[in-house]
Amino acid sequence: MVIRFKKFISVLFVALFVSLVSSSLVNAGAILSDLENQLMCKCDDKCGKVLINCTCSTADKNRKKFTKMLESGLTVDQIVQQQIEKYGETVLSAPTKNGFNLTAWVIPFGALMIGGVGLRRLLNGWVGKNKPDIELQSKEGEGTPESDSKNSSEISSTKYSRRLQDELDRLET
Amino acid sequence: MNDIGEFTLMVALVTSIYGTVAYVMAARGNRIDLYLSADKVPLITWGCVMISSIALWKAFFTNDFSLQYVYAYSNIELDYFYKFSSFWGGQKGSLLFWTLILTSYMIVVHFQNRSKNLIVVPYAMAVMLAITVFFLLLLNFSTNPFERIPLPPEDGRGLNPLLQNYWMVIHPPTLYLGYVGFTVPFAFAMAALISKNLDDAWIRLTRKWTVVSWFFLCMGNLFGASWAYVELGWGGYWAWDPVENAAFMPLIIATAYLHSVMIQEKKDMMKVWNMSLVLLTFVMTIFGTFITRSGLIQSVHTFDEATLGYYFLGLLFFIIVVCTALIISRLPLLKSKNELDSFLSREAGFLFNNLLLLGIAFATFWGTIFPIISEAVRGVKITVGPPFYNQVNVPIALALLALIGIGPIIAWRRATWSNLKKNFLKPMMFALVGAAVLFPIVPLSNRSEIYTYIAFVLCIFVLSSMLIEFYKGTMARYASSETVLGALGSLIWNNKRRYGGYTVHIGVVMIYAGIAGSSSYGIHTEKRLKIGETIEIRDYMLRYEKLAAIQATSVKTRIVAQLAVEKNGKRIWTARPEKEFYKGQNQPVSEVDVRSTLASDLYVILADFSEDESATIKVYHNPMVKWLWTGGWVIALGTMVSAWPDRLEQRRRLERLKLQKIVFSPSQE
Repeated sequence: MVIRFKKFISVLFVALFVSLVSSSLVNAGAILSDLENQLMCKCDDKCGKVLINCTCSTADKNRKKFTKMLESGLTVDQIVQQQIEKYGETVLSAPTKNGFNLTAWVIPFGALMIGGVGLRRLLNGWVGKNKPDIELQSKEGEGTPESDSKNSSEISSTKYSRRLQDELDRLET
Repeated sequence: MNDIGEFTLMVALVTSIYGTVAYVMAARGNRIDLYLSADKVPLITWGCVMISSIALWKAFFTNDFSLQYVYAYSNIELDYFYKFSSFWGGQKGSLLFWTLILTSYMIVVHFQNRSKNLIVVPYAMAVMLAITVFFLLLLNFSTNPFERIPLPPEDGRGLNPLLQNYWMVIHPPTLYLGYVGFTVPFAFAMAALISKNLDDAWIRLTRKWTVVSWFFLCMGNLFGASWAYVELGWGGYWAWDPVENAAFMPLIIATAYLHSVMIQEKKDMMKVWNMSLVLLTFVMTIFGTFITRSGLIQSVHTFDEATLGYYFLGLLFFIIVVCTALIISRLPLLKSKNELDSFLSREAGFLFNNLLLLGIAFATFWGTIFPIISEAVRGVKITVGPPFYNQVNVPIALALLALIGIGPIIAWRRATWSNLKKNFLKPMMFALVGAAVLFPIVPLSNRSEIYTYIAFVLCIFVLSSMLIEFYKGTMARYASSETVLGALGSLIWNNKRRYGGYTVHIGVVMIYAGIAGSSSYGIHTEKRLKIGETIEIRDYMLRYEKLAAIQATSVKTRIVAQLAVEKNGKRIWTARPEKEFYKGQNQPVSEVDVRSTLASDLYVILADFSEDESATIKVYHNPMVKWLWTGGWVIALGTMVSAWPDRLEQRRRLERLKLQKIVFSPSQE
């Protein structure tokens, strides 16, 4: 039952991940908001804001200019390219997804995956720690009737300790 | 008074240097005479910094423009309200304010622990005093707020108009209370490392400090968002600016610490991890200060005279090296009995929660410093703005939201199938029903909308799991209580930490819902209007009625547009967005007008106007923004409940420890 539940949870997470990745491919369309989201405001005050968030007069002028450019038939990509040629890459509100800039996008997820794998291995070690104790106790005590009775009392003490711990934990849950 | 202010700053520096040395020597040499002498230092230092602060405030209130700082951030016409807040409007005053909060906290720690914990407290006080020394060195020798102008001008330059908002009085102090508050857990962690006293005493001593600092940082972030929303006039509240990130990162790491520390308290595990998290939280607060005061990373929050970068970089480097060296040297003492019964347990849930929280903190840190890395590697300066953070952080944040629902209801140690079924079946059913109901209603045409849909479904899951917990607990007590409310009250009162935590989670869910709703379904429109013309958005119609010019003060002119807002033909509100013009400022400031309900905000901006009284009006319809601010208050309530003194909790903890000792020690031995 537990294995089935684990499988169900895994499938759920995979489905969630696939839906998120596939959804990222959906294109919102070449609209002014998209363009404003992709570009930084280049005013004299160096306000450091994304164009869509900026309310200065330079931003307003640029908005009007871009609206006209879009109406004239230019695409968002073409306008963005024009802006890069004029101001350099710094006009973009996010790093491009190629060359060295790709590391900006990859490294956070890479770090998270490495952290996940590390945590999984750590947990494997921690979860495994509890079981051998009992096995070891039962193996060490094999042989004499004395050790058998001592061993069985230790095992039952461990068993009752665990049961008590379980009860305490359940009480708090 | 200025001379006294300057002099007391110097006295504070000298006494705090003495205090640092005396506390360390007293602790190392077990010298009670030195300890008693050092114990007077926190009070003297605080007194000196307080006198200095009063001197600066007095200079602001009396328009003493002989001080360069007062000249730069105030003028005669400035309202007293803002003269008070101008104190922290610039770099020099904000450093003094930081020092005032730090020394005030130090006093509280001093009185809380007087004649107690004599092994750890002297070192903790020494660490706090050492940090105070750093700030006092800057104030005395690098950015003195009492620097004079030889020929004082008649009037000052005035405070930046964007800072003339009531949030300026609330947001920075709240944020500073959070930032500086983390110095206390950091100091105790360092003290525990130095004194080799590495049981969980330092965690118990600083738990409330951590919770309260976390709360202030959380509220500071929310107040900042609220300020941006009403003052910057772009319809949003969070722009992933480097300084916003700098306030966000310690909050996230402190959240991870607040969760993982529970494992140490319950199972005596993860000592190194918790120690590292609390140190990292403090490092991040200094990193934030470094960003605002270095000018290295472009930010709208950077101080005009950002010249202290190298000092803070040096402090950062020093703290990281010392902390790492201390942790490594104490590794044998920090060794804990790390064992888990199952992957399906609350402990494992907390660890994954830590992984995701640190994932978000790392992604944010990476994005913040990537422009510097790019410039160093390629020689090309690039910008990392909201599209990056939204694409990277949102999927991680959604996974975290799912864990917020799973964590509190999964059993400690080992979740059995029956436990899972019992605790998860109902929340899952609620979530599935919610998903089915929402599916035909909400648009799903782009990535943002799909994320929002997932966020809503997860919010339903988490909220229902939390509410079921409250319901179950209340019903269990209802039998012995007269009323349901009485049962609920006694449930919360007797389990403050647990149900306070759940309340905080409910607040967080509300914030998630608010962010999801407002970022995906917001729309805006803009129109040039003549008197009598209308603009429409969703169900609302705004009729432009008039434009008025008001000379508010000799330096401020207000241009106010009046619009009647109608819904279904009935006038429901009058919007009065305005533009404020300040003498000597290039750009006017927009003062938006907002009608806020839980369903949506109607956000009206006067974008432009001309002499013929025509005006360009921009209107935003932002759904669910109020959920964010309400979520903040729910968090405040939850934190208050959680941090309320609880004798029962202490008794329970002692009994549990006693039981564990009696029952487990023989078998473990």
